[in-house]
Amino acid sequence: MKLKVYPILIKLLFWLLIVLPVVAGLGYALSYSLGLTGLLSKGFTLEYWQKALTTQSLWASFLYSLSIGIISVFISLCFAVSMALSWNKSIQQGRLSYFIFLPLCFPATVMAFVVLQWLSPSGWFSRIAFELGFINSLNAFPNLVRDFYGFGIIVCSVLLITPFFTILMSNIYKNENLLHLENLSKTLGASTAKTLKRVTLPILFQKSKMTLLLFVIFVMGSYEVPLILGRQYPQMVSVAIVQKIQKFNLNDIPLGFAMSVLYVILVVLVLMVLGKPSRKYLKPHFK
Amino acid sequence: MRKSIVVLILVCFWACKTDKSQGESSDLSDWSMVETQGQNQSINMMMWKGDPKINAYMSDYVLPKIKSKYGIDVNIVSGQGSMIVQSLMTELQANKSESEIDLVWINGETFYQLRQIDALYGPWTSELPNAEFIDFDNPFIGKDFQQDIDGYELPWGNVQMTLIYDQAKIKNPPQNKVELLDFVKTHPGQFTFDNHFTGLTFLKSLLISFAENPDELYGDFDEVTYQKYSQQLWEYINKLKPYLWQNGEVFPENVAQMHQLFASGEIWFSMSNNDSEVDNKISEGLFPKSARAYVPDFGSIQNSHYLGIPKLSKHKAAAMLVANFMISAEAQSHKSKPEVWGDGSVLDIENLPENQKQHFENIAKRQYAPPRSELNQKALMELNPEYMIRLAEDFRTKIINP
Repeated sequence: MKLKVYPILIKLLFWLLIVLPVVAGLGYALSYSLGLTGLLSKGFTLEYWQKALTTQSLWASFLYSLSIGIISVFISLCFAVSMALSWNKSIQQGRLSYFIFLPLCFPATVMAFVVLQWLSPSGWFSRIAFELGFINSLNAFPNLVRDFYGFGIIVCSVLLITPFFTILMSNIYKNENLLHLENLSKTLGASTAKTLKRVTLPILFQKSKMTLLLFVIFVMGSYEVPLILGRQYPQMVSVAIVQKIQKFNLNDIPLGFAMSVLYVILVVLVLMVLGKPSRKYLKPHFK
Repeated sequence: MRKSIVVLILVCFWACKTDKSQGESSDLSDWSMVETQGQNQSINMMMWKGDPKINAYMSDYVLPKIKSKYGIDVNIVSGQGSMIVQSLMTELQANKSESEIDLVWINGETFYQLRQIDALYGPWTSELPNAEFIDFDNPFIGKDFQQDIDGYELPWGNVQMTLIYDQAKIKNPPQNKVELLDFVKTHPGQFTFDNHFTGLTFLKSLLISFAENPDELYGDFDEVTYQKYSQQLWEYINKLKPYLWQNGEVFPENVAQMHQLFASGEIWFSMSNNDSEVDNKISEGLFPKSARAYVPDFGSIQNSHYLGIPKLSKHKAAAMLVANFMISAEAQSHKSKPEVWGDGSVLDIENLPENQKQHFENIAKRQYAPPRSELNQKALMELNPEYMIRLAEDFRTKIINP
């Protein structure tokens, strides 16, 4: 009896806590963007969708966010794989693990402020450079935060993500018995570089590609970090949407909702095209 | 299985049904009734909590006085501007019968939005005994962003925008637009303004300065007038832009960020909508003692801030009692002390009864900002909120991302 009731309860909870709020939220945003709801709504209109689809800055925000997401995940992946392969045993246990996983303790906002303190023209590095005579004024320090290329956002995202990836890669390495496969490859005559290229990295990538894609989307949608370290243009998509919804013009709220629904559609498309998630991956196992 | 899911979802929807029962509907036009009904209640007040002095004034002075006088517990909830609008809008959209918020601290931009969505209770201010002494004839108090307040919000304090500079670095701060342009050219990267309310107030002051007569911009929004003067404004800002902080490619997101940049020496100017800010920030140790506030010759916006009661508030009588105390001579004079908050009073002090007038005597003068009488001579009125909406949008498309 118990065995039958538990899966049903878990399924119910999944529907109620995960699916229903998301679908309801999306439905609300869609109806708001179509002028069907909202205190200032004047009835059905496609005006906001036309605006959203033709606003150049919105597409720039999407592309900018996607670029920041891909670059951050790629850099984090490089660090994580290097650490997982070099210090595999130390990562699983020992003092090194505390050091590597320390950034996991920092909320995104705190990490963003730490990066701001490091990299802003009045930050630590700038002051050190000034004291050492490398620059003649604090403002001569290069723009590393609130810069056009999102350097500060990328640094912060890398610091936040790398520990997760390190755990992930280290676990895949262990679970897939990669050490054994590497030894086998070398026994059969492959060099260390060839083993890495043909055995280790492909398996690590294959096993983690969906997670990597989800992290790209996670960075794309981040809010606090680009709010603190980003600039007004180009702007990450979450910041742009929230500003539309919360700034001075209440008539911009439907446009903000149209932008957010459009963003969800694009993310789902990216997932469908690049991730091809199987039902097996996305749906929890109840049986 | 599917049936049970559907049943559970329906149960959830039923549980979320809105409560249509009527809230407080008694007569609040009789003050003795308000006093009877309002006592010994708990109310939630939503206000900006970003200034330690303001927080201390509320928690150490207003709240204990209210508690001992009326037995009212005031729970202060953090939130300002858009958050207040979003909260009340959500409640109205959800058809809630009563609001979680009973009193809000707002200014003209929020007042405009709350009136747009009909979220404020009113008129109620004329019922307050202490409102008799408010200087409603003063256009900087009786009008909010060119809008008649019509009894839907109660003036609480009055401030004027000032520029803040470090006199250890700048001996003669720029007094007009030409001097400001010369200054930024000779000191590139040291001046900026924020991308939020304070920066827009600065832009509004500049916009008015381009008009031959400020009255041209006062009153309702006028597209032709806006186009005429905003074009000159953007031409001027574009001349300043290459010499602003970070080459004018990025602007501080809000005034707090600008204060941090000023405090760390990254920029030489900050600005504030509160003319007492410089004294407050020096006493907090954030600004150097050489910081000074001033208003350039082209003037700056003076405005008031207000208290409003949400339409769906369940505790309107209690909120009115609290508001009445907050505009009393006792509370207003204490608030105007530089060491407390330094906020300008909205009362017509000259016409106060002698026993109340004495509260305002012997208040120490502030040290680092000019006296209010001096600032008043350069005061400009707030413009209709539509001007700010247009300036914010045009600033984004003509300056940030041209």
